Amino acid sequence: MTPCAFRLTKCLLALGLFSLASTSASASSGPGQGHAAPIQARETFDESLTLRPLPDGRVSAAFEFKTVVRGARPREPGSLGRAREEGDVSQHYALFPLELGQILRAHAVAELHLGLRAGKWDYDAWGAPGAWTTADPSPEPHAGVGAGAAGAATGAELYAWMGDAGGGEGEGGVSIDDRWTGLRSALAGLFCASLESLDERRTCAPADAFPPSGTLPPLASQYRPRSNASGSSIGAGGGGYYELRHALQPAEHVCTENLTPFVRLLPCKAAAGLGRLLNPQKLFGADWHGLGVHVRWVAPGGGGGEGGVELVLAAQGVFDPVRLSGSYRSRDWSFQRLFDRLVEARCPVARSSRVYVELPQDVAYSVVPEPTKVEGAVAMYDLLAENAERVDVSLRYLLEKQFQYPTARPPSLSPLTVRRALHGTSQAHGALAVSVTNNLDTPVRVGYLETLPALVTLWLHTLTVTLDGDARPRNDLLTDLTYQPPLPHGAHTGPSVLQAALAIPPRATLRLSVDMGKAFLRYTEHQPDAMRGWDLPGAVFFPLALDDKSYGAGLASAKNSNETAVATTIGYRIHTPNLLVDLATPDFSMPYNVIILSCTLITLIFGSVFNMLTRRWVLVDMDEGLDVE
Amino acid sequence: MLSSLFSRCWALLLLSLALWTTSTTAEGETPEKQAADFFGRHESTSGHTNNWAVLVCASRYWFNYRHMANALGMYRTVKRLGVPDSHIILMLADDAACNPRNPFPGSVFASSSRSLDLYGSHVEVDYRGTDVTVENFLRLLTGRVSPDMPRSKRLLSDDKSNVFVYMTGHGGNEFLKFQDSEEISAFDIADAFEQMWQKRRYNELFFMIDTCQANTMYTKFYSPNILATGSSQIEENSYSYENDADIGVSVIDSYTHFVLEYMERINKTSQTSLQDFFNAYNPHTIRSHPGVRSDLFQRPLSDTLLTDFFGGVAHAEIFDSSSSNIDFELDEEFASKWQAVYDDACNAETSSDGGDAENSSERVAQSSIRKIGEKLDLSPGKWKEARKWASVASLGALIAWAASRW
Repeated sequence: MTPCAFRLTKCLLALGLFSLASTSASASSGPGQGHAAPIQARETFDESLTLRPLPDGRVSAAFEFKTVVRGARPREPGSLGRAREEGDVSQHYALFPLELGQILRAHAVAELHLGLRAGKWDYDAWGAPGAWTTADPSPEPHAGVGAGAAGAATGAELYAWMGDAGGGEGEGGVSIDDRWTGLRSALAGLFCASLESLDERRTCAPADAFPPSGTLPPLASQYRPRSNASGSSIGAGGGGYYELRHALQPAEHVCTENLTPFVRLLPCKAAAGLGRLLNPQKLFGADWHGLGVHVRWVAPGGGGGEGGVELVLAAQGVFDPVRLSGSYRSRDWSFQRLFDRLVEARCPVARSSRVYVELPQDVAYSVVPEPTKVEGAVAMYDLLAENAERVDVSLRYLLEKQFQYPTARPPSLSPLTVRRALHGTSQAHGALAVSVTNNLDTPVRVGYLETLPALVTLWLHTLTVTLDGDARPRNDLLTDLTYQPPLPHGAHTGPSVLQAALAIPPRATLRLSVDMGKAFLRYTEHQPDAMRGWDLPGAVFFPLALDDKSYGAGLASAKNSNETAVATTIGYRIHTPNLLVDLATPDFSMPYNVIILSCTLITLIFGSVFNMLTRRWVLVDMDEGLDVE
Repeated sequence: MLSSLFSRCWALLLLSLALWTTSTTAEGETPEKQAADFFGRHESTSGHTNNWAVLVCASRYWFNYRHMANALGMYRTVKRLGVPDSHIILMLADDAACNPRNPFPGSVFASSSRSLDLYGSHVEVDYRGTDVTVENFLRLLTGRVSPDMPRSKRLLSDDKSNVFVYMTGHGGNEFLKFQDSEEISAFDIADAFEQMWQKRRYNELFFMIDTCQANTMYTKFYSPNILATGSSQIEENSYSYENDADIGVSVIDSYTHFVLEYMERINKTSQTSLQDFFNAYNPHTIRSHPGVRSDLFQRPLSDTLLTDFFGGVAHAEIFDSSSSNIDFELDEEFASKWQAVYDDACNAETSSDGGDAENSSERVAQSSIRKIGEKLDLSPGKWKEARKWASVASLGALIAWAASRW
């Protein structure tokens, strides 16, 4: 096809997109038609970029692209096993990415969170990840992603809530585990990521730490109830229930090939709007970067208005303008300097397109161009305004010749400071040590979760808890311990899952230590770069539902064990960085030596024995020549 | 009376002559010719309708940056010449672009001038990191993948596909190392190609390899229609081309650098043949002795265009119905067997997202079914034949009638 014709097709496509958008916007969504509500109800697209200067001279830039399909709801899992014609409604989207919609409906996923992140998130200096500003009353993202769902687990993290109608496989349903397998393969293909490695060796279901951030739709009740619902599931009425699947691959690399499909899911791609700023050469040069895909269902009524399926594509980078400026050592930043691009044009299908800039305090600065609105310490730019062409927001510190790094550590922006390390030099044993400091003036109750692959085994009888360097054990501070031992080999492999509730007195440091054994792997189980060691996923500290008994009911009993002031919990999940565990590695050339040696021996023995068994020993009469018999 | 008789006779004669001429001229216009005229230039003698490329960088670690750059240079070339991303399987054993050691994050350069970023903004890496194993490579070639495998990680080629396979890494006599932990041998690749041939997964295959003692890797091939070339002969190393002081390692291998330089002069309409390309090999500048193996390849290299393998074509496949009837007899049992398989696949496909169920066996079934449909129709060739004989008969009848009246 000639370039001209190609351009024409693109134009036609764009026209088609517009007409679809306008017709779908004008069509009023009729009353719900059972579970097959019309998909092409109304779709909205909002995009925002939140820029937050950090105390260490860095700048956090968090993009959020939110698409809502109003009136839609996730597919009923009971319809999965049926024939094609009655299985599912057809999908027509104007703004919602069809590639993702097909995957979600093919596996009947109610809620999905995928994160591809690299680097260590410094909670103390940077606060919570995601799009929020310090001016917010609580460190919660002010746009789409629910509290803490943004997350900062290093590597590839995938978790999904999937429903089971309770009919079991006998009624043609597809099991949650099969759908989980299909889901991660499909997403691996879509996002060019190695998500196939998130197999059963890494999959677990820590439902308390990863509760649904939206609502799980009630399941249809025409299916037979299942008697033995597992502990990690959430009932959904009518015998159906929801289960979580969570897996984390800490060694995943994140690069341009992940951003390419990510940008393709945006309605305006990288051509217009804020998606223009997603420049791989700059984003992947950031000190920390993360891509996130968050799909959830918002129930109608309540705060969600009409409700519907919400997709938030989140991208975040922590840039260091001081490093980028070279010898100038300036922390002034602009779109041009951070992203090497400008917002060339507005995205015409966006309902809102905004840039939030948190303004520095107690420092002289200038911000260019003039913001559309300033609310407190946050300046807002509306990119859909008439004069918003080639927008390059820049912030300059007027009286600062060179940025001076703060000598004293500023007060932590995080309620907890967590350090986690592996101790011991042996290749057979080790110890896991975690220290948690409460930075608040109130006692904190927090959930603690370790999901470790079968490479290491924790020995729970060695678990000790101490407080503030005091040698006396304080096991009363750790309650509601659950432990699922690892299943290393065979058909039932799985990670070890340790979950507990911690109570930390105000301004105190709690130290937790547990011994562990390191696995001796089979020769074929080693990964290519075996000498480097294995990445262990980080621990998770998650908010406890202090008075909510709907799930995590076992953890709620920890409430009465602390006698001091009213306890609080943290507002978002805190992920610790990964660890590297050094396992015993064989001499990989040894099998060849063994093979060669044993082959030689077998050849010698077999050859001589075979020779002796088959050879006939006869006397040869030399006079009659060599004529035998 | 006689004149009217003559005029009627002439009219009939003209009519039958007209019939004869139309049938004979229509015979000259074969469907292939018509299709070729319709689709324009069709100078390639390959007969393929689609192109696939499998590009493998088998080396891990930062110091093997040049192998990543080799594969990405090939990726850029085949993409530039028209092979779409969906038909390119790119395997990179390590992440050079976003490696913390890379002073240019998100970029891979193949020359110290750093004028061309091979990673760009639209790269799609299908297998990466620990996914690049000998097992996955052989499964990709032979199509023996899990049903959950997404389309982007499958080689969905058919018997009209020209497949270009490029491999680079560290190797030796009849082996190539993957990830510094396992090897693929020349026998493994030869057997995989034979299986591809038996499963009708390629029309012609061009194998190119850049590694030490690369020419030993294609010595074991025994399947038809394979053309192979390598960077260096036995007991000979392949060397890197140049270093970059800022990146700190070698950025490209000598042989691949030569190939990419040559390819930069080629565009989609180029008539450069593979013979021209091989003639341009210069052991002095490449610093090793590249080899070519063409004994399995059926066409003369001077008639084989470079773009038959590096470029993307979108030709329609015209079935010659008279020739397809001949091998149909052989295929009947085969087709009925695959019809059942195809039905099963259709039923099983209902709940999947539609793409995963397509595999080579289904394609075979589809083509067989297509052939069944053609047999039931009255084919145009037979119709032409019948018309020819009818016109001859009418002409004969006219002559007989005229002779009887005389």
